[in-house]
Amino acid sequence: MSLSKDQTKSLLAFVASSKSDEMDCDSCFDHMADFVEKELAGEEIPAALQKVQRHLDQCACCDDEHNALLEGLKALTDQPS
Amino acid sequence: MNLSKSTESPDSLDTNSSRTIDTGVTDPWVERLRGEPDIRDAAITELRDILLRGLSASMAKRYGGCLQAEDVVQDALIKILDSLDQFAGRSRFTTWAMTVATRIGISEMRRKRYQDVSIESFTSEDATKIEIAVDDGISAESNLDRGSLIETLQGLIDNVLSEKQRFAIRASLEGLPVEVIAEKTGSNRNSVYKLVHDARVKLRSGLEAAGIDSDQFATTFA
Repeated sequence: MSLSKDQTKSLLAFVASSKSDEMDCDSCFDHMADFVEKELAGEEIPAALQKVQRHLDQCACCDDEHNALLEGLKALTDQPS
Repeated sequence: MNLSKSTESPDSLDTNSSRTIDTGVTDPWVERLRGEPDIRDAAITELRDILLRGLSASMAKRYGGCLQAEDVVQDALIKILDSLDQFAGRSRFTTWAMTVATRIGISEMRRKRYQDVSIESFTSEDATKIEIAVDDGISAESNLDRGSLIETLQGLIDNVLSEKQRFAIRASLEGLPVEVIAEKTGSNRNSVYKLVHDARVKLRSGLEAAGIDSDQFATTFA
């Protein structure tokens, strides 16, 4: 497989931003609720949760679910029962 | 290509992702959901309504709306009720419940969206080959020698990464979500993510060992 220009750029960008101590998907999920509540409240993300954001920057699956969760929670806030 | 746990390589992590954690947290929602039948039923009805409204908003515009919130809310409720011991109390209960439900909903949509995508194209004899083409379209604005970078990176891909890592990287670059790669290879999402992550870290370390600063090539190829 020969990488396209965009794929090469993507690979290099991911390699450049890699950290050895990244959180995995399960750990990200475990802290997601706490993380989004702070996001929605506009609070500063504490150091212990900053790994969540780093994981979201690297994992498209978790980032998609994170964005969906934000949309769902905002809808609940905007349209309370 | 089977990416599930094997003794062949240390890249795969434990594939058993089920966890039983009794956090001992007491919360009004948890108490109601564990309460007498009439209290429990009322709480389930209330929670179902919350999940349905939240999921309706989050699922409507994703994956072409291939699933409706009603299609997944029951599975989400069952998962939540089975996982009450894992609620750690660091957030509101309903936020945690929406987190569980959203993962189930989006995963189901993702599965449906990619159900007809074959992994066979990645299982041919050159499935683990990754070749970086020399492409003049990639601009090199810094003084980094692009040819040297490409040559070093190609050498690392060929010699440092395992076959499984090359396969996972290649499938990811083709746009397959890690969850889909996992499902189609008999692995799980966490293991595939770790496989890709470890490959990225190896490549970065290798480039740095070769004297190529990662910050420099990141800006060069941004």
